[in-house]
Order: sequence, then structure tokens, then C-alpha cells
Amino acid sequence: MAEFEPKILAFCCNWCSYAGADLAGVSRFQYPPNIRIIRVMCSGRVEPEFVVKALSSGADGVLVLGCHIGDCHYMYGNHRTKKRMAILERILGYLGIDPRRMRLEWVSAAEGARFAEVVTEFTEQIKSLGPNPLKEVRA
Amino acid sequence: MIENIRHLARKWLEAKEVDAIFGLKEQDGYIAPHLFTDASELDNLTISTEYRLCYTCRPLKEDILSLMQGKEPDTRIGIVARGCEERALIELAKRNQLDLDKVKIMGIACTLEEAKECKCEKPYPSNPIIGERVEGVSEDEDVNTLLNKSLPERLEFWRHELSKCIKCYGCRNVCPMCFCKDCKMEQEVFCKTGWLPPEIPMFLFIRWYHISERCIGCGQCEKACPVDIPLLTLFKLLRRDVKDLFDYEAGMDAEQEAPLLTTLDEMPIKEEVPSGV
Amino acid sequence: MEYKNVLTTCPYCGAGCNFYLQVLNGELVGVLPCKSHTVSQGKLCIKGWNASEFVTSKERLTRPLIKQNGSLIEASWDEALTTIAKKLKEYKEIDPNSIAVLSSAKCTNEENYLMMKFARAVLGTNNVDHCARLCHASTVVGLVQSFGSGAMTNSIRELENADCILIIGSNTAEQHPLIARYILRATEKGAKLIVVDPRAITLTQFADYHLRQRPGTDVAVFNGFMNVILANGLEDKKFIEERTEGFEELKETVKNYAPEHVEKITGIPKDKLVAAAMTFAKAECASIVYSMGITQHTTGVDNVSSSANLAMLTGNVGKPSTGVNPLRGQNNVQGACDLGALPNVYSGYQSVTDEKIRAKFENAWKAKLPENPGLTVVEMMNEAANGNVKAMYIMGENPMISDPDINHVREGLETLEFLVVQDIFLSETAQLADVVLPAASYAEKEGTFTSTERSVQMVRKATEPPGESKADWEIICDLAKAISSKEFEYKSPAEIMDEIASLTPIYGGMSYERLQRGGLQWPCPSKEHPGTPYLHKEKFSRGKGKFFGIEFKEPVELPDEEYPFILTTGRIMFHFHTGTMTRKTDLLNKEVPTGYVEIAPKDAEKLGLADGELVSVQTRRGKIETKALITKRVSEGLIFIPFHFAECAANVLTNPALDPKAKIPEYKVCAAKIEKIKG
Repeated sequence: MAEFEPKILAFCCNWCSYAGADLAGVSRFQYPPNIRIIRVMCSGRVEPEFVVKALSSGADGVLVLGCHIGDCHYMYGNHRTKKRMAILERILGYLGIDPRRMRLEWVSAAEGARFAEVVTEFTEQIKSLGPNPLKEVRA
Repeated sequence: MIENIRHLARKWLEAKEVDAIFGLKEQDGYIAPHLFTDASELDNLTISTEYRLCYTCRPLKEDILSLMQGKEPDTRIGIVARGCEERALIELAKRNQLDLDKVKIMGIACTLEEAKECKCEKPYPSNPIIGERVEGVSEDEDVNTLLNKSLPERLEFWRHELSKCIKCYGCRNVCPMCFCKDCKMEQEVFCKTGWLPPEIPMFLFIRWYHISERCIGCGQCEKACPVDIPLLTLFKLLRRDVKDLFDYEAGMDAEQEAPLLTTLDEMPIKEEVPSGV
Repeated sequence: MEYKNVLTTCPYCGAGCNFYLQVLNGELVGVLPCKSHTVSQGKLCIKGWNASEFVTSKERLTRPLIKQNGSLIEASWDEALTTIAKKLKEYKEIDPNSIAVLSSAKCTNEENYLMMKFARAVLGTNNVDHCARLCHASTVVGLVQSFGSGAMTNSIRELENADCILIIGSNTAEQHPLIARYILRATEKGAKLIVVDPRAITLTQFADYHLRQRPGTDVAVFNGFMNVILANGLEDKKFIEERTEGFEELKETVKNYAPEHVEKITGIPKDKLVAAAMTFAKAECASIVYSMGITQHTTGVDNVSSSANLAMLTGNVGKPSTGVNPLRGQNNVQGACDLGALPNVYSGYQSVTDEKIRAKFENAWKAKLPENPGLTVVEMMNEAANGNVKAMYIMGENPMISDPDINHVREGLETLEFLVVQDIFLSETAQLADVVLPAASYAEKEGTFTSTERSVQMVRKATEPPGESKADWEIICDLAKAISSKEFEYKSPAEIMDEIASLTPIYGGMSYERLQRGGLQWPCPSKEHPGTPYLHKEKFSRGKGKFFGIEFKEPVELPDEEYPFILTTGRIMFHFHTGTMTRKTDLLNKEVPTGYVEIAPKDAEKLGLADGELVSVQTRRGKIETKALITKRVSEGLIFIPFHFAECAANVLTNPALDPKAKIPEYKVCAAKIEKIKG
């Protein structure tokens, strides 16, 4: 049986984490190719429904990356994200989806290395969790 | 008890403390929600736990109380309200859906049987004018059963339950806290329209997430579900989490801001509360 | 400011849920569920929740319309009624049977009674029928011949306590959601669920057995069940001996339907059939639930009698949580049948050919009544097309979408010399009329509906009808008076019900005074009688239940080289019948904006179709263009089209072949072909 290659979706905010991802690329920091990035203007744009939709549509893991608290380009966007993801995490758990399949991290524009680190570590985590059981649930 | 309520209602109307009373009327062999504008009608005023939160029911985009306040903003309405109804009014007012200044609450405390039937944690309003406060139901069997299941068991449980859903939107229509005119649950982009069962778990997830911090625990959603999906169970867990994470309980304090509408500085998350895994 | 709630019965399906209509300052603003109602218990389906929206639609008819130079022009009531009265009198003079009347399964009991009284006493014809002909005519004939009474034997709530439920030809979760509730509750309690349906309908997810039969082979399925039961000695010998007759005939026939043979006919694997049959037979209380899937065939009566055979064989009649349970589609199709809007019976299923009965009605109505049974719906359309029926009066029905072979229906209706249509919207049928009369909807009049479980319930007036529209009962009375009848002076629907009760034994104990306090299930022969939750308790309505040895017959039009698919039609949750009400409701249109054809993935692949692609579906009757929906719900070789959508009307394609006894069309099976639309 071939090794499980997870599909990971990452929502990256334009000002910090997307720039950080860019920097990681430019600096040739290696990270696994399982990740697909969707750029949003702010991590506060990420509705929890996006995460659930991603997990229902074939993603094995979802990353939400934003600016550090206090650095949000729109002041408080990432405050909202943090609170929402806290609740989302719990709902996922109650529904039977491992909350570790979703992670919220802050990555600044200067943190190219950190971006690669976060992605690598998350991919490993998802590999260990295995394929997303929600895929079977879809009729 | 009913005589006290009628007496008080009559007093309020006659003293012009309110212009109308929202309550239940016995008419033609059945009970129905009614707006009493004349003291003479009050002989038919009655109470029943079966009909709660009628004024926040929203099948066609707007509930009756909002409609009334929209048409006649100066009318003061007295509402015969139980604990859950009062919490609904407070929480809605917090979000500018109602003018609480024009509403006068006649609080009724529920009896022990009524509390057990609703699995209610707080079966009394803040100042019950009528009835004695009783202890709410603190231990919920359904909640414990869910918590005792492993993750795969929970997924299987919800897969079974949610595949019964017939997309009646009843849970949304009766929920006092659901008031969006453009509802996400109806949007094709989240759940394919015209398909049964609606996308699992997305359809009901939308409500579970959106109502999480505002859920007043009235249980109307579960009561309106034709296929008995245990919606309240998940909401109860979320209410507990919202309390743990933000020290917030919906509908209890009219002055306290809601967590998801505030910044971390105004209302921080209490550090590292374990998730319900 | 005035706000009140009026408790009424839902105008959609036959489950008969009740809800409140919210009225603010005289305007209808919404619906509230009713927690204390026995069936709905505070829950509603999406249609019920939105049942107030179409009532306030801007497209409601508000004034009578008369056709002049090809267009419908507004007119006064006087003009309209005078025109109609004059014309109908003319046709009556020449030949009363050149007039045909379609009553309405959506109108109240009182209105149906008046309509059939009008047709018989005023127009002098028995040509009165309604859409029950198209759905449960097989039930009315089949169960009468087997049991003596053609209605649901048990009550809806009893389903919850059955040990085994056999659903055949009913997509209950989509058609009767609040009835499916009780079936689901039964399964949660451990009941076994057997679903017999060619499609993977919603309830199959919860079924212990899903038997996917070839459409039209239901008699073979039932006979197969009975063969297994007899082979294993699981029949209820006591019941058969004491309560039935004709068992030998049944045994003879059924012995030729061994599981291997049934597999060849139906396609159901024999082991599955055996297992399901044994489960059914071993259950303490087993209930059969069915709907259009078995009635809408040229063998509809056979199918229904077969289900009755199975129930009697296993002793599952005459006690709670058992029985044969046809789920009636329309809100008041049961009532329309009960009140005699049928060509061969008066109210209460009393025969028009019986001299004593006819004398009773002649006495009550003070008019000479016609002796011979009249035409049925499809026959009316045929006779209209060949000029024998010259005038029609249609109330609350839309044959242009609901009848089979719409092109032929159009021909019939256009050939008519005079057509009157009475409705709340300008339906496809109304557009062809010479005179259109605007009627009040369910929210704007008082009356009663009878649900599928024989429960007669109040319909209460919540608002005034828009413009000059009037309640159907008022219109019929006005028209009768215009044709100089003196027997239509009623001050209120309550009076009409009193007259009904005096002439109709099964409704004998009905009165508004009693009905205000709650529904009553017929038979309710006297004012003290509490109503009847389940039928045939000690004996059958006809005395002993009758077994019939029924042989399997193929449907009339089977697939061939030119038309290789089996086309079956049906309903979906989000729309209702001809869509006159649901397609004026925003949320329902959002869910399902237009029609489609369900096609299996392998078939779609062979034809090179993509999901959502526009295709043409054609049968020997006609052709439509619609979207393809690729799904495993249908098996290979089968396609399904919901009939609600006028722009891609399934009934352009359906076969008007009739069951010889019930005269119900074979909507469920015909041969079709699908083609990609080029260019």
C-alpha cells in the first residue's frame, strides 16, 4: 500500500503569513509538497465553514495562518480568528473529527523558516493521524 | 398561578404601563399566541410550556416581535416570559434586534417537571414575579453519552443522526437567536441545494457554530426537529465551553458584550482549556 | 395593533399537520408550528413552514376573467356567473352528459360535497371526478374489493410501535415527512424496515432490507413474499380461518411464485426476498405502507389487493400498529373521495346505481338524479378530444400538468366548446379557459380537510381573500342559484357539514362543534361516537376479508430498441404536485429552481453526459428538454423525472394507459430515450 500523502489546505493572510510563505520559497527553505495555499486578506476572513468545507471536500488537514496578535494589518482581525478557531476546535471534537486536523498559527512576513517548520510539522501530524474519516461520510 | 398572571396583566394594561400583552390565549378549543390589547380579553389568557418563544419564531425572515416593533416602534409590549424567553430577549437586544426599552417582562419560573422536560439548566428568569425558582437540570444524560464516545464513535453517531435530516429549516426557524435575513444554510456554495440529506456535517454545523456563543439553551431546535436529531446536546456542550473560555453566558447580563463580537483585549480567552476530545 | 394566531390544517400533503397562521393587522405574516397536534407535534416540513407565502403572492387571481378575442379580460362576478349559467343550461338541455366536472382534492370537504351535488342535482350528470383518479383510485377499488373499505386501515402514530414496516412504492421521507418521522422512530426502537423501491430513496439508508425491483413487478414481489411465508408455515392460520375467504384461490396462485421465479421477474436476489419475507412474517405487528409506486400502474388494483392479501395472510389487520396504509397525497384527497366527488358514488361511497340510496339523495336534494355512473378523469379528456364532452367546469385542479400525456390533454381542453376554471392562480389549465373564477385559498375560508388517516380536521379562516375572490363553496352556491336552483342556501360551511352528516353514515357524527376541539377519524356514525383509530377490528367492512389469486402482468409499455429506458415519474420534497403553490415560494425555488432527469452513472457515461447537461427525453407521446442529474439513486436502465415543473413537464411523456377497473394511468412505467442536445 502506498504511503499516505495527505492533502493539506492552508489559508494564509496576505500581509504576514503569505509573505512569510513567499520568503520561505525565496530562501529555499524545504517543506513537504502536500500543502495548497489560499491567500486571504486577513485570517479574520476565514469562516469556520471554510475549514469544515475543506475537510468535507477531501482535505486531510487545514492550516489557518495569520499575523501575530497586535500585528494585524486590520488591527483586530486575528483576534476574531483566535476566538473562532477556539470554538471551531471544540465543535470538531464533538462531531468526531480530530481537532488536531485544524491548526491556527501566527507567522509573520519575516518568518520564512518558521513557515516551513509549521508546515513540515503539521504535515507529519496529519500523516500520523491518517486519512480524514469525513471522506467516507460523504454520500 | 394563572389568576395571578391575569390579575397582573390586567393591572399593567389598565395602568397603561404597557399598551399590549403578548401571551397565550384560549380560543375555540385551542391555545394560540395572541396580543391582548384589551383588558376584557384577559380572561382567556393562559400559560402552557408547550408554546414558548413564539414571538421569536422566524419562518419568513422576520419574527413577529421585530415586525411589531418595526411597524409601531412606540408600542410598549408586556411579555409573559419564562427564563429562556427572557434570555432570548436580552441576547437579541444586545445585537440590536429589539428595543428592550419598549418591552416589559412578566417573569414566570418553570416548575420542576417543566424543567426536566426541557432539560433546562436555568428554568427561571432573573426576577420571577410568578412562581418559585427551582433547581435546573445540571446532569444531561445525552451530553454524557456523547462525551463518553471515542472520536470514531462520535463521527458514526452524527453520520447516522444527520442523515435523517429533511432540511425543513425548523431548527433555524424556531431558534430565537437565528435572525440573519440572508441565511448561510440556504446558500448553494456551502450545501448543495435540493438534496437530501443536506451536506453532512456542514448544514447543521453552520448553525452550531453561529449560535454557539448566543445559545440560551432553550432546546426549541431539538423540539422542532421532525426526525429527532439531538441538536441541543451539542449546544449544551458549546454553552459550557463558552463559559469556560470566555466566562460568558448568553442572556444573563444585558450589559456584557458577546465574546465573538469583541477583541481579545476586551474579552480574552481563558488560557488553554482542554477541548472536548 | 392586532396580532392573532389561527389554527389550521396544512394545505400540502395528506399527513394533515396543523399549524398556526400568524396574522398581524389582518395580514398573513407567517406560520407557527402547533405543539399539541397529534401528528405534527410542533414540527413541520419545509413546505409547511412556508405555507403562508404563496397565499400573499402578487399573482393571486382577484377578479373573474372572461375570454374575449383570445385574451382573458377582467369582468364582474355578475357577468361571469351569468355567462356560465347560460352556457351550462344550454348544454344541460341538449345532453347533461356533455358536461364534465372536476372537483378538487385541495378544496374542503364541504366544497367537494357541494360540487358533486351541483353536478348531479343541478347539471344532471354523474360526470364528476377529481385527481384521486390519478393517484389512489387503485386503493379505493382494491381495498374495497379486499376489505370493503378503501382507506388507510390504521393511524399514523401507530407506525411508531410496529415491529416491522414494509414500505413499497412510497418515498415517505420526501412525500410525507411527518409520517416518515414515526417510521424512523420505530426503527430507533428496534423495528425492522423493509423498503421495496426501484430507487435508492432516502429511507433506504435506515432499512434492514432494500429490495430494488424492476418497476411494475410489484404483484410478483407480493406473491413471492406470500410463497415464502406459506412454504415456511408462517401464515396466521387462525386469522385466515376466522376472518377471511378465498384462501384456496390465493394458495393456488402463489405456489407458482417461488423465490427463484420471482428473481427472474423482478430482479430481486432470492435470498434477500426470503429474508425480508421471513422478517415480515415473524413480526408481531407488521405494517404495510404504500403510495403511488404501486397504485399508478395498469395493474394498480392488482397491486393494492396483493398488499391486502399479504396483510391478511399474516393476520396484520384489525389491530394497532398493523394494517394496510395507503398514504394519500393531497391535503384533502381522502375527503374528496369520502364526499363523493367520484362518478360512481355519492358521499360515503354510497353507490349511484343503488335505487334506495339514489332515492334518499333525490329526497334530500329535491331533484331527479342521473342513474348511470359517469366518466373518469382520463376518459373525460378523451371524450373532450373527440367532441362528446363539450363543456367542463374545473375547480382547483391543473390537468395540464398533472394528467398523463399532456399533449392529448391540451387537445381535449382546446376542443371543448366551453371551459370554466376556478382557482387561486392562473394555472396552465386556467390559461385555456373561457371563464376563470378567482377562489379563496385555505387560509381565507372555513371548512374541513380529511387527512390520510381518515381524520377530519378544521380549516379556519385567518384573513380575507384578496380582491374579489371568494371561497369555492360560495362560488358554487352562487352558480347554482344562477342556474335557478333553490337547494344551495347555506349560511356557513357548518350548515353544509350538518347536511353531509345527515346523509353520510361514516360522517354521521361530524359537526363543527365537535371538530373545533380536535380531529375526528371516520367512521364516526353518531354524535357520541369518538371516532375510529383503526378499522376492521372485529370484522371487515365487507364481513370477511377476501383473498384474490392475482397473476403478475407486465406493464403496458416496456423498453425496446428504440426507447431503451424505463421512465418513472414521482415527487420530491421541495415541490408539490403541479407547483402552483410551491413555485411561488422563494425558499423552495431556491432549493430546486427547475426540473431534471435522474440517470445512473453508467448510463450517463455510455451517452457521454455530464452532470447538469441539458438533454432531451422522448417517449411515444412527446419530448421535453431537461437537465441530467447523474446519481446512483436510479439503477441502470431506469430514469426518473419529478413532475412538478411546467417547463419540463414529465407528463408530456407519460402513458395514459389505464387500469381497467380503477381507470388510473400508468405513470410509473413507460419507455423512453435520452439524447444529447446537439449544438
